[in-house]
Amino acid sequence: MARRKFKSALNSRLSGFQKIYLLLIAGFILGPFIPLLIQSFAFRWAWPDLLPGTWWLEQREKSLLPLAWDYVLSPYSRVWEATLNTVFIGLVVTVICLAICLPAARVLAREKFRGKSAFEFFLSMPLIVPEAAIGIALLMIFIRLGLAGSYTGIIIVHLIPTIPYMIRMLTAVYQGLGTDFEEQAMILGASRWQVMRMVTLPMLLPGVVAGALFTFLVSTNIFLLTFFMGQGKIITLPTLLFSKIAGGTLDASAAGITLVVTVPGIILLLITERFIKEEAFGKGFGN
Amino acid sequence: MTQPNTTELARHRRERMMMWLQLTPVLLVLSVLFGGALILAVMQSLGFAPWFGVNTFPDFSYFGALWGSWSFWQSLGLTLYYAIVSTVIALVMGIFLALAMVRMFPCKTLYKYLYKLPLMIPYTVGIALAVIMLGNGGMISRLSAFFGFIGDPSEFPQILKTHYGWGVIAVYVWKQTPFVTLTIYAVLLGVGRETEEAASILGASKRQIFFQVTMPQILPGIVSSTLIIFAFNIGAFEAPFILGGGFPDTLPVVAWRYFNDADYTLQLQGMATVVSIALIASIILYSYLAFYRRYERRIGRN
Repeated sequence: MARRKFKSALNSRLSGFQKIYLLLIAGFILGPFIPLLIQSFAFRWAWPDLLPGTWWLEQREKSLLPLAWDYVLSPYSRVWEATLNTVFIGLVVTVICLAICLPAARVLAREKFRGKSAFEFFLSMPLIVPEAAIGIALLMIFIRLGLAGSYTGIIIVHLIPTIPYMIRMLTAVYQGLGTDFEEQAMILGASRWQVMRMVTLPMLLPGVVAGALFTFLVSTNIFLLTFFMGQGKIITLPTLLFSKIAGGTLDASAAGITLVVTVPGIILLLITERFIKEEAFGKGFGN
Repeated sequence: MTQPNTTELARHRRERMMMWLQLTPVLLVLSVLFGGALILAVMQSLGFAPWFGVNTFPDFSYFGALWGSWSFWQSLGLTLYYAIVSTVIALVMGIFLALAMVRMFPCKTLYKYLYKLPLMIPYTVGIALAVIMLGNGGMISRLSAFFGFIGDPSEFPQILKTHYGWGVIAVYVWKQTPFVTLTIYAVLLGVGRETEEAASILGASKRQIFFQVTMPQILPGIVSSTLIIFAFNIGAFEAPFILGGGFPDTLPVVAWRYFNDADYTLQLQGMATVVSIALIASIILYSYLAFYRRYERRIGRN
C-alpha cells in the first residue's frame, strides 16, 4: 500500500491530465498560425467558410504569385527595407552590447566588492521599469538632440532592454568557466594577452555566441522603443506589422507580413535552442 | 618592512581601479540613458520645458490636473486589470507547463522548441494572431457558425476592442506563458528531484509535496518572472492600442495620445502620466519584492 503511494508521487512519467495539458498548450501556441497561413494563400475567404471559397491556385490565370505574397515580396510593402533595418540595427546593438557587457560580466562573476548586489539590481532595472515610461522620456531628449528618427537613436535605446539579458547570460558563462585553466596557463608562463587569446576566448566562445544571438533576438523583437524613436522614418519588421494591423483588421497581405515577421524568430529558435543555458533565466532579483 | 606593504597596497589599488574600469562602460550607458531620462521626465512633469517657453518649475499643477481627473483613475484601473489578470493566468499556466516539462515524454526535444516560439517573435505577431482568431469575422466566430451557434458575424460576442480586454489578455498570456515556463523550468532543473523524493519517502502526499517542497523551491523563479512580465504589461502600448476598447485607454496609450496632440503643452501632461506609470509600477514592484524578501527571511533563506 505504502509502496504504491511512493510510486505515484515519484512518477517521472506524465499523468493523463498533463498529457492533455501539453497538447492544449501546443494547440494554443501553434493553432492560430494555421488560419494565418491559409489567409495568406486565399483569393477570397468569406465568412462563415472555414476554408477559403476561392484559393489562389484556382485563380492562377489572374495572378502568377499568391496575391498577398506578390505584394509582400514587392518593394511597395517595404518588407525588404524593414528586414534590412531590423538585421542592421540588431547586429550593431549586439556588437556594442557585447563590447560593454563582457568586461562587466567578468568582474561580476569573479570579484566580490561592496555594493555588488546593488549594482546587479541596477543592471536588472530595465527589465522592471515600464518601457513606455523610458521610451517617451527618452524621446523628448532625443528630439532635442536630433537623434529621433535616426539609426543612432534607435541603436542607443535598444541597448536598454538588451543589457540586462546580455549581462545575465555572460555572467553565467564566466561563472561556469572558473579560473583554473587561466591560472594554469599563467603558471606555465603565458602572458596576459596569450591567456586571453588562447585560453579564455575559446572557452568563452559558445556562451558568448549564445548571449549575442539572444541579444540580437531581443533587439529584433523590440516594438515600442523603435516605434517611438523611429518616428515613422525608420521602420523595422515589428513596426511595419503594427502599421498594417493598427486598424484592428487583418487582410491577406497583413497575414503574409505576419508570417515574414515570424521567420527570423523561427530561425533564431532553431539556432539558439542548443546554445541558450536555461539556467541563466532562473536567476532571481537581487538575491 | 614597509616596502612590500606599499607595493601590495598599490597593486591592490590598481586591481580595484581595473575592476571599476571594466564596470564603467555598462554603468555609464545605463545611468546616462536611464537616470537622464528619469530626471528629465520628472523635471518636465513639474513644469520645466524652456523649449516650449514653459518654465514654472516646480509646479505640481500637471499632476494635480492629471490625478484630479476621473479618467486617469479609470485608465489606471484598466492598466492594472490587464496587467494583473494576464500575469496571474500566465503564471498558473506556466507553472503547470514547467511541472509537466520536467517529466519524461516522447517528442520532448521537439516540444522544447515548440513552446518557446512565442518568446522569439514580436508582440505584434501575437496581436495579428488574436485578430485572426478572436475577431468578429475570425476563426472562432467561423467555427461557432459552423456548429450552428450563430448565424451572423454580428451575433458573435465582441472579444476584441472591449474594456474586458480579453484580446489584450490573450496576447499577453500567449507571449508570456513560455517565459514563465522557461524561468521555472530552469529553477526546477537546478534543484533536481531529490528533495521531492525525500518528502515522498517520508510519506508526504502529492499536494503536500507541491505546496511545501516544490513551491518554495520555485518561488524565486516565480517572483522574478512575474516581476518582469507585470512590469512589461503595465508599460505595454501596442496590444491595448490595437485590441483595447478605446476611451478610457490604458496609461501608456493615454501618455502617447498626449504626446501626439497638436497642443504642445499637453506634452507636459503626458510627462506627468509617464512619471505616474513609473511611480505606480515601482511602488507595486518594490512592495512585492519587499514582501517576498520578508517571506524568504521568515522561512530562513538568505
